[in-house]
Amino acid sequence: MAKLTPEQVRTLSDQFYFLGMAIGEYRYTHWDDLSLEENKELSDSQYAILKSGEDMLAFAAQLVMDEAQTSIQQIQGLTKEIQDTIKDLKNIQKAMDVAAGILVLGAAILEKNPEKIGSNLQGLLELWKSD
Amino acid sequence: MSHFIYTFGKILPGFVFPLLLASCVSLKGVREFAETATANVAHYNELGYSFLDHCEDRCRVEAIRTLDIQLELSCSCDLYSKADSVTGIFYTTIYDYLKGLGELAGKDLTSYQTDRVFEALSAEQYGPVSINESEAGAYAALSNLLSDVALTGFRKKKIAQYLEEANAPLQTLLGKFQMLISKDLKGELRFKKARLYSQYKDMMMGRTLDSDFENQSAVRTYYLSLKEIEKKEKLLDVYAKSLNEIAKGHQKLYDERNQLSLKELTQSLLGYSEEIQKLYQEFNQLNR
Repeated sequence: MAKLTPEQVRTLSDQFYFLGMAIGEYRYTHWDDLSLEENKELSDSQYAILKSGEDMLAFAAQLVMDEAQTSIQQIQGLTKEIQDTIKDLKNIQKAMDVAAGILVLGAAILEKNPEKIGSNLQGLLELWKSD
Repeated sequence: MSHFIYTFGKILPGFVFPLLLASCVSLKGVREFAETATANVAHYNELGYSFLDHCEDRCRVEAIRTLDIQLELSCSCDLYSKADSVTGIFYTTIYDYLKGLGELAGKDLTSYQTDRVFEALSAEQYGPVSINESEAGAYAALSNLLSDVALTGFRKKKIAQYLEEANAPLQTLLGKFQMLISKDLKGELRFKKARLYSQYKDMMMGRTLDSDFENQSAVRTYYLSLKEIEKKEKLLDVYAKSLNEIAKGHQKLYDERNQLSLKELTQSLLGYSEEIQKLYQEFNQLNR
């Protein structure tokens, strides 16, 4: 059996909405002619029909997912590529900062200054580990 | 050396600046469009209504109608939770893509600071390699400028490639997301109005209220509730409309993807951005 499309399910939901409303209007028009039991029975049917129409709309959303699966995967794949490109571009700055850090460390070593060597080395390590 | 830098500094803006300007203009258009679009898509979190909300509301109304008192109201809403997770996936996928696109066209992404490298080189300890402080500053400025020009070109090329690959699936997603919001979720509100109408109409027809005061209070409550639902409907409409404008703007970007430096493209994209911006403000006003 062919699968229903979201559009077909939405059309069915529309029909259920109009049917539910029509039952309600019938009850109000014939309020005095209907017994309490008859009115209650019709009222229960009206709400059950409305509920089915509402459920159909929630179901249509799931059918949309089936239709859009490929597009979702394509966009998610592209977004990953974009994020990787952004990361690469950001890494250029990191490389420049690391280069500067190495030069400063070199200067500290030439100065034979243990305190500066320690702090520069620490800074360099932190920079290297950063995102 | 100083003379060289002075001369270079004089002629450099003449050929690099126009290049930079052209690049900035195009990326600016993409960036502004993507940023405005991202902000609009993020309104999803402020819609104030979901499929699950609808199911739980209905469950409560049904319990009231049938005078069903339970210690804990048990509502079967799995179908509705699943529908929410579908709209959530659409939202996240579209949002992440637009955010990435905006960031790739962003202002600061390729504004590299090489000053620190040249400052380090100006340290006297390097002997023959060392350069003086003013030369270091000039080299740094030149290097920043050139890296920006080169990488802006790279970014434009990548953006054009991503636009080409993303447009068809994105148009599909935006179209379907729009339907989920304007047909399915908004459709649930139509049912909510139908229930509300029947609930109050039954009350009036059954003459269950004693005084005029009670009757009028009930009618007032009905119209206040109706107004709340209509406000939610308008919010969903504005949100769906902004998705449509985003689709149009992205289509324009795709059509002109190989001419991203054209001023006309920037101007027409700004038109879409302005339209989306208006919808953004309309949404916020409605949501007050």
